[in-house]
Amino acid sequence: MAKINNTEEDELIIAHNELTFEIKEKEKLAAELRIARKELAFQIEQKGKRAEELGIANKELVFQNDEKEKRAAELIIANKELVFQNKEKEKRAEELGIANKELVFQNDEKEKRAAELIIANKELAFQNDEKEKRAAELGIANTELVFQNDEKEKRAAELIIANKELAFQNKEKEKRAAELGIANKELAFQNEEKEKRAAELIIANKELLAFTYISSHDLQEPLRKIQTFVSIILENENENLSETGKNNFQRMQLAAGRMQQLIDDLLAFSRISTTELTFEKTDLSIIIEEVKTELKDTIQEKHATIEATEICPVNIIAFQFRQLMYNLISNALKFSNPGISPHIIITSSIIKGSKLNNEKLSPEKNYCHITIKDNGIGFEPHFRERIFEVFQKLHGKEVYAGTGIGLAIVKKIVENHNGIISATSELNKGAQFDIYIPA
Amino acid sequence: MSIRQLNILLADDDKDDRLFFKMALDALTISTQLTTVADGEKLMAYLSENAQQLPDVLLLDLNMPRKNGFECLSEIKLSNTLKQLPVIIFSTSFEQEVVNLLYQNGALYFMRKPAEFSQLKKIIQQTVTLISQDLPASPSLKLQQSRAGQAGNISQPTRENFVLTVQNSRVI
Repeated sequence: MAKINNTEEDELIIAHNELTFEIKEKEKLAAELRIARKELAFQIEQKGKRAEELGIANKELVFQNDEKEKRAAELIIANKELVFQNKEKEKRAEELGIANKELVFQNDEKEKRAAELIIANKELAFQNDEKEKRAAELGIANTELVFQNDEKEKRAAELIIANKELAFQNKEKEKRAAELGIANKELAFQNEEKEKRAAELIIANKELLAFTYISSHDLQEPLRKIQTFVSIILENENENLSETGKNNFQRMQLAAGRMQQLIDDLLAFSRISTTELTFEKTDLSIIIEEVKTELKDTIQEKHATIEATEICPVNIIAFQFRQLMYNLISNALKFSNPGISPHIIITSSIIKGSKLNNEKLSPEKNYCHITIKDNGIGFEPHFRERIFEVFQKLHGKEVYAGTGIGLAIVKKIVENHNGIISATSELNKGAQFDIYIPA
Repeated sequence: MSIRQLNILLADDDKDDRLFFKMALDALTISTQLTTVADGEKLMAYLSENAQQLPDVLLLDLNMPRKNGFECLSEIKLSNTLKQLPVIIFSTSFEQEVVNLLYQNGALYFMRKPAEFSQLKKIIQQTVTLISQDLPASPSLKLQQSRAGQAGNISQPTRENFVLTVQNSRVI
């Protein structure tokens, strides 16, 4: 189109140039004419004759001029036409310029888009790379997950085994719990039985207390009356009785007296285990002094000496310990050597339980060791346990009066104090009693 | 020393013991008048009937039917009209705790019934002498003192001297 336009334009340009050339030629001719006219006019003026000839020639020339004007008008029209055509062509050229600019613009736009596409392309390429990287990473992660999955399956398998093991152990424990439940019931039953027995023992103990009261009062009373009646008979009917009768009444009196002693001692023995035990820090030397005062008559009579040195305070049931001291000291006085004045030595000291090596004593505790030593008749060593038993006597009542309860009471009192007592002796070499009670 | 007759009241359910007591009392040189009641209820009835002419001393057995010696002692010591009556416990049994309780409850003396008749005579003589020493000259004076709210009765000894024992050495 443009090329076509160019060809037309070129032709137009050529035509135009020709026209222009022709116009210039004609203008040259017009100028030569005007010179000629001026020559003629000058020749008219100069040659007058020639005027008519020249007029004619002039007319010819006007005619020719007209012709030439006609042609010039035609040329003007043609020129206008050319101008018009030129304008048209300029319009078209403008339009072409605009179209060209438009194309250039479109071209630019396309180039921009191309540039953008290049950028977008690069971006996509980058994203692609990233995705490939991620895909690679995911691949690795996947492998890892697969591995972990395997591990978890392994663990799950292990857990299943462990679970089974636990379930088994659980069952075992339930079995044991059931067994323990049964054992527990058994223990509860035994416990109840023990409580019943304990309750029975309490009742039995109360019955024993009731028996103690019967002994104390109801048995003592008729006995005392027998004694009183006998003594009244012996006093008031003395002249009326034969010697044998008097003798028999006296024996009766002695027997009743022994029975009274027996009842008294039995009461003391049972009272030791039934009365309430209240421990208090007590000065043993005071108790010894009280006992000495109580036994004053016998001590004077036998010219006895009692030494009590290094006596430490002890935690004791005072009235019981007084009884203990009374029994031991009066025993020492009773079983004294006929030819020798009784000499009784009482000492006390604190000793560690660990040094005593006795299963009944705690190694951690401190013990008060009280010794009562005499120079009396003593006893054979093999009797050292037996002397502490109830009703056990080593001598006939004709030689040494007594019921055989005194040392049993002593032992019971020591046991009430959570202690132990032992006796050591040889015949005619005195006796020693060792008491250990918690300090 | 009072020259007037000593009025003794004995509360004991045991017929033999009442007999022993009367025999022992009759053997004494001191002139006495003995009244006996056989149980605690009878004792309290007697005391309320004779509130204006109370005995000089009451010898009280512990173990008696219907109302025992402990109950009688408490009632006597809680009564305004009877609390000044000297009460001597006269019992077969001898237990420290019982003796302590009786001392706290205001008994004057505790006496254990002896087995030997000679001992019984001695201890009764000791007791009668003790009471006579502190006796007012006449019952009327005793009554006046009692009304005045003064200590006309014999005051309780220390705990150590509360239990009466036969004292051989003592010359009566």
